[in-house]
Amino acid sequence: MKLDLANPAWRQTLPPARSIAADAPAAASAFSRDGATVAFALGDGSVRLLPADIAAAAPDAAPPLHGGAVLALVGDPAGDGFISGGDDGRLLRIGADGTATELANHKGKWVEHLAAHRSTGAVAAAVGKTAIVVKAGEVREFGPHPSTVADLDFSKDGSRIACAHYGGVTVWSIGQPVTLPPRRFAWRGSHVALRWSTDGKFIATGTQENDIHVWRMAQATDMRMQGYPAKVKSLSWTADARFLYTSAQPVFTAWSFSGKGPEGKPPFQFGEEGAGLLAVVAAHPAAEFVAGGYDSGELQLGDIKTRRSVALKMADGSAITCLAWSPDGFRLAVGNERGDLLVIDLRR
Amino acid sequence: MAQAQVPVTVLTGYLGAGKTTLLNRILSEQHGKKYAVIVNEFGELGIDNDLVVNADEEVFEMNNGCICCTVRGDLIRIIEGLMKRKDKFDGILLETTGLADPGPVAQTFFTDDEVKARTRLDAIVTVVDAKHFLGQLEQGDEAEEQVAFADVILLNKTDLVSADELAKVEDRIRAINRYARIFKTEKSQIGLDAILDKGAFDLKRILEFEPDFLHHGHDHDHEEAVKSLSFSADRPVDPDKFQKWMGALLQLRGPDIFRSKGILAIDGAPRRYVYQGVHMMMDSDWGSPWKDGEKRSSKLVFIGRNLDGENLQRGFEDCLK
Repeated sequence: MKLDLANPAWRQTLPPARSIAADAPAAASAFSRDGATVAFALGDGSVRLLPADIAAAAPDAAPPLHGGAVLALVGDPAGDGFISGGDDGRLLRIGADGTATELANHKGKWVEHLAAHRSTGAVAAAVGKTAIVVKAGEVREFGPHPSTVADLDFSKDGSRIACAHYGGVTVWSIGQPVTLPPRRFAWRGSHVALRWSTDGKFIATGTQENDIHVWRMAQATDMRMQGYPAKVKSLSWTADARFLYTSAQPVFTAWSFSGKGPEGKPPFQFGEEGAGLLAVVAAHPAAEFVAGGYDSGELQLGDIKTRRSVALKMADGSAITCLAWSPDGFRLAVGNERGDLLVIDLRR
Repeated sequence: MAQAQVPVTVLTGYLGAGKTTLLNRILSEQHGKKYAVIVNEFGELGIDNDLVVNADEEVFEMNNGCICCTVRGDLIRIIEGLMKRKDKFDGILLETTGLADPGPVAQTFFTDDEVKARTRLDAIVTVVDAKHFLGQLEQGDEAEEQVAFADVILLNKTDLVSADELAKVEDRIRAINRYARIFKTEKSQIGLDAILDKGAFDLKRILEFEPDFLHHGHDHDHEEAVKSLSFSADRPVDPDKFQKWMGALLQLRGPDIFRSKGILAIDGAPRRYVYQGVHMMMDSDWGSPWKDGEKRSSKLVFIGRNLDGENLQRGFEDCLK
């Protein structure tokens, strides 16, 4: 079974999907490690759990777990549930059955960004100017940083975390019994999004000034790509680390990191021009596909090999806020500002 | 999705002037409205409200070659985060620390696209301590700059000073900022309609400030203090020349010019051209049409430090037809 965008069925009908109106903005979506459950972080403090199988019966909405909005959500790397962060300062572990246990509580701060590392089972959370890492029941703090941590990610092997903040990126070794001095990668201005490449060789950030910045870890050299009409708040590396997808363009935009890298070359741009700008991009977990949600509500699936794209959802005026691929790469969990939750089944 | 922009009221003022009292007063009144309150990390008193966010006042320089372009990074993040909540609110009240420069706060609303899309800066309200203001002016630039940026000033704690002292303080405030509305208060007691929903940063409502523009600016004192200057002209303005002059002026003198506003009669244009700026950031639009037979005159206002009135007058006159 594979995704084949040349199949005329893609152009004739939209793929089957489960659609639920949650009536609260969706901030994040995620699949569980086993792929059986999908979850949405909602602005009413609840985390909506649904079966990944769109034909299975959906359980009722659960009561709020957080006071305020749930701001961040990832699949639990150490189980088959989820990890959530909220503007109540709490970090929760949520079982596949919806029961929650508190991992950390930082009242007065927001837990806005989370990262999970599959093979080590570690979770990292941005809590104000500090990053915390939860692993095997132990919580460790890294920081403080020069400003609030605006995003964070694990290295490929899970031995380090990178934190974005005002003035650059800070990389901490997290596996040592004592905290070693961090490595700092400086670039003026505020960095608002961060993704470590899937091969561990590059760290990419989006900046307040509408450009992206990429550091090459081995040589500590860096590059800057300009020309975006808005802040690039969504970055996604392909599974083979050959391409970095970026939001804030009307078509799929991928910088090539194979060979000599992207310096001096334009990015690959392909697919049908969508309505508005891409707000969220998510590279497929294994193959050369990419999903992109627009600020108009349109959703597209692109294939860089054939330079084609197809629509998965039409524009409806509510910006897509989150996108997640199932581990097997055949389902997408999509949420928007209005609180429409979609689980799309791409097998056709 | 076209959604209404949430109005933001900025409460500023020196330490102990009465900001938190004012904030609690706004929140405790029976107005049936819901406010999100952003307080600074050093907030002294408890705030009685469901939705209170602690801000760190992270001032970021924009990496765009503009030296005075600083924004409040925490504010960008917080506004974005507040919009993720299901519970919506009618307004945002933002309290700054006593020593904060209002510039980065105001510039955030001119600079960040997402903040601009979701919120609008309604007014900067400055609370002044009538008893200590003159002393605070000696201690640094903050008290003076907070008054310079203000759209509305609460001259507070009037019960603690004599009539003479009060007059002296008011004169000093007027010397800095001739255009803000001043309300004299005790214990921050004020009707909410005086400070909320003023639309002071709304270009369409700049016209309402017209009566304030009547003064003609001539400056003969050579103090290096913050002051207000205004200029008017009855001949139409050449738009190209004006753009060039104002662009160069703000580029060069932006750090010293806290606020600027203007209503221009552009040569041949049927509508008023309105603009306003904070430091180097400027926003402009076409305002209401001139009526038949109406006298078409232009007015400019600057509030800033080291303003050279004669130079500005000459520069403006060079832009006239």
